Formats: sequence, C-alpha cells, structure tokens
Amino acid sequence: MEDIVSAGSGNGAEIDARASAWAVRSAERPLDPVEQCELDAWLEEDSRHLGAFVRAEALWLDIDRIAALDSGTRRETPPPARQHRWQSYAMAASIAVAMVGGMIAYDRLAGRIATERSEVRRIALDDGSVVTLNGDSAIQVRYSADSRQIILRRGEASFKVAHNAQRPFVVSADGLKVRAVGTEFAVGIEESGIEVTVEEGVVAVGDGANASAQPRYIRRNEQFVAAETGPRKVVLDAADVERRTAWRKGLLVFDGQQLGAAAAEVNRYSDLRVVIEDPTLARAEFMGIFKLGDARAFAGAAARAFNGEVIRRGDELILVRQQNSPSH
Amino acid sequence: MMDRQAQLRWFAREVLPHEPDLRKWLGGRVRGLSSCDVDEVVQEAYARLWVAEADAIRSPRAYLFVTARHIVGEHIRRSRIVAIDLVADLDTLNIIDEEISVHRRLSAQEELARLYEILQTLPPKCRQAFELKKFQDFSQRRIAEHMGIAESTVEKHLSKALRLVSEAMKQAPSGAEDGRHRERRFWKWG
Repeated sequence: MEDIVSAGSGNGAEIDARASAWAVRSAERPLDPVEQCELDAWLEEDSRHLGAFVRAEALWLDIDRIAALDSGTRRETPPPARQHRWQSYAMAASIAVAMVGGMIAYDRLAGRIATERSEVRRIALDDGSVVTLNGDSAIQVRYSADSRQIILRRGEASFKVAHNAQRPFVVSADGLKVRAVGTEFAVGIEESGIEVTVEEGVVAVGDGANASAQPRYIRRNEQFVAAETGPRKVVLDAADVERRTAWRKGLLVFDGQQLGAAAAEVNRYSDLRVVIEDPTLARAEFMGIFKLGDARAFAGAAARAFNGEVIRRGDELILVRQQNSPSH
Repeated sequence: MMDRQAQLRWFAREVLPHEPDLRKWLGGRVRGLSSCDVDEVVQEAYARLWVAEADAIRSPRAYLFVTARHIVGEHIRRSRIVAIDLVADLDTLNIIDEEISVHRRLSAQEELARLYEILQTLPPKCRQAFELKKFQDFSQRRIAEHMGIAESTVEKHLSKALRLVSEAMKQAPSGAEDGRHRERRFWKWG
C-alpha cells in the first residue's frame, strides 16, 4: 500500500517529538532570534509541523489547567526544604515598613500566580482582597459566585480578606482548609508542616479531607501548625506576629544579628548566594537595611564593615577578610 | 480575533478532547491507513483548524471531523495507486453520523485521574521534572537546582514528558473510574 499521505519530512512520531521540544522551550521563555528563525523554518517546511506544534503547545498549556484542578492533597513531590523559617525569623531581622513595587493583576484565565525567589508580590483580587506572595511561592485563585477559593501550592502567602459573609474565603494547603470571612492571616507550607498565623480576626482551620472533623478556631496573634507529629497551637505576642509576616514589607533590617545568620536570611530571597566560610566573620555582629533579594548590596556592605572583600564565583558571592599576609 | 494564548486555550478545550474519537473514527473507516498515517491526517487537520477563524467555528468537533475527511479524500485522489476497498471506504467517510455529535466531556476528577494515570508511566526523572514544573510552578532553572542536573537536561526531561503525555492522550482514557489515588498527607489532624 502506498503511503496515501504525501511522504513529508519525518514520520508522525518524529514530528511530535520536535514539536514537544519547541512547545516546552517557547513556554519557558521567549525564544532568541536564532531559535525563532529555526522554529519558523521548521514550521514552513510542512503544514503538519504546524499542526503538531499547536497541538503540543495547547496540551502543555492545558496541563496547567488540569494541574490546577488538583487541590494540593495529591502532590507527590514534596516542596524543597526551607529550613527553620520561623527560627531564622526569630533570630534575624526586624523589618522596616516599605513596599517594593505596586499591585499587579493576575492571569484571570488560569488564576495562577507564582513568584521567583527574589520576589515578593502583592496582588489585588477581584473582590477587594489582597494577597501578598512570599518569594518562591505559588497560589491558584478560584473564584466563583458563592465562594472564594485559594490554593497554596508552595511557599507562603498572606491574605487580607475583604468581608463578604455570602462568599467565604477559603485557603487550602496540602489538604488543610483555612476559612475566613474578613480577616488577615498568613499560610505557609513549611518543611515541618503547614503554618497558619492570624494577625486580625478569626479563622477556622479544618481538615479538607475530613469534613466532619471539628474545625479549630485560631484567633488574633495565634499560630496553628499542622505537623506530622500532630497539630499544635502557639500563642504569639504582637511583635512576633509582626516579625513573622514582615517579609511582606520588602526590607530586611539587621540590628546586631550575626553576619552568618543575616546572610542566610538574605539568601532566602536571592539567586546569588552570599557565602561566608570564615567562622569568625560569620559570628560578627552586623547592622544594615537592605531590599529583599539584594545580595550584592548586602555583601558589599558587609565587606566594607569588616574590611573584607567579595569574590564572585558563579552564583556565589564569597565574603572573605582581606589577607594581611603578603605571602598569600 | 483571539490572541495566541487564548487561541491555544480554545484549541485545548474545544478541539483536543475530540482527538481520541477522531483517531478511532479514522482508523475504523479507512482500512488503508496505518496508525502513522492517522498521525499525519490529524497533524494536517490541526494545521488547518489553527489558521481558520476560531470565532467562526460553531462546532469544533464537526469541523475537525469534516476537515480530516477532506484531507483523506485529497490524498486518496492524488495518489496514483489506490486500493479498491479504500475507494469504497471513501464513500463511507462522507457519512458524518451521530457518533460525531456524541461526546461527553470528562469531569475535573476524571481529567486529573487520567493525568495521574499517565504520569505513573513516565520514567522517574522525567516525571519528577514534570511534577515540579506543572504542580509546583518551578522554572526550569529551579528544577535543575532542585534535582541537581543541568538545565538543558531538565528541558529534555520536560520535552520527553510532554511527548509521552501527548502520546497517551491520543487514546481515550481507560477506565476513569478506577483512577483513584492514594492521598498523601504531610501532616496529621488531631
């Protein structure tokens, strides 16, 4: 039997493979001019290439929608460790009030918002509520006529909820459901469990998988932790709460913390990592105010403060004391 | 006129779900077509649908089937040697019967279950990269860091994952009912 569809370049499977590669790349980032030319040339070659490419692109995009149907309970890959979040907050920064950037709109169709590590983002939602997304975090917004649902996929987000008793505001994280009507609270997926911190008002925390379980009410200046070892409630003072939700304000302030701990805090928000190998230097007390994510400014200031220098090695900024020995 | 993203979403919602049926229909009607040729007809049909004015297409499903039928017809007419039974089949291709109008959309649960089922069949690294990308919204760079592999390798894993998922989506979902999944919890309730 002769090939009834003109023998074009490559068979269907080969075309699909190339189409998939192009779809993945062009969804990740804008193609550079050379790549764009290459893709255009390939699409020109045969109309089947175009067909395969739009199929791959549409499917890749649609998987986002399907993934968004997942409410978090089925996640198989645990989020990367963000160790000792609260501990590092407690020992490190007190934070000054300043907002980085303005409000941005979100993609209403997909309702997905994700931040890079060096980014803290404030998002105004349709109902007047405001979400602030910490670095390296992602949420999914699903609003309907009778409910406002947010799925926290990773990281941490804080919510200032516009009051509307007819449309409860529910945040789910890994199967935990946090329900609020009008209040301010933060939810974080941590290595140790899920943490809910309430700044104002009351939220009801419930088990998403077990609707009959009694919800727990968490009030102002309280924190609820759902951990592997069981849930617990922590009472905080107002200053604690402020510190713990202070990342929203966009600045890191060091007021006599050890340089090593300060660097760890800076690194949480930066792709460039500040590395201090000298243990004496790491213990030195440090003061300064920095924008979240500005590792370069931090390293520069620390170098000046301790008569050291910054050596750039790949993605690392290595902070060293100046060598006094000429033999070195 | 829709922008490209909107058109892709439209394509994903209104066209792609009919592909398994189209393939079955093509495979059943045209005995001369090997599975590879069905691929080619589908690719060609998608190319034509893509350049058509999406807003004007009332029933994407019917449009898709009719386009595919045209393509098969064109190629049969063009080829010099045609098996007799294939010509006979071309007549039956003209019948766009009820099976075309019958289509049930998968529920959200079924769609998810199907995706999870397909993910089980992916090689482990490929699947991990895919899950970090699609369920955790990681950039390729972050996936590379997290998995300790090169960014270019991540892209390869993702491309392969997309190809395998897209291959699996050519078939109608198998037994969506038994696609229940273990719920994995990272915390414990009271």
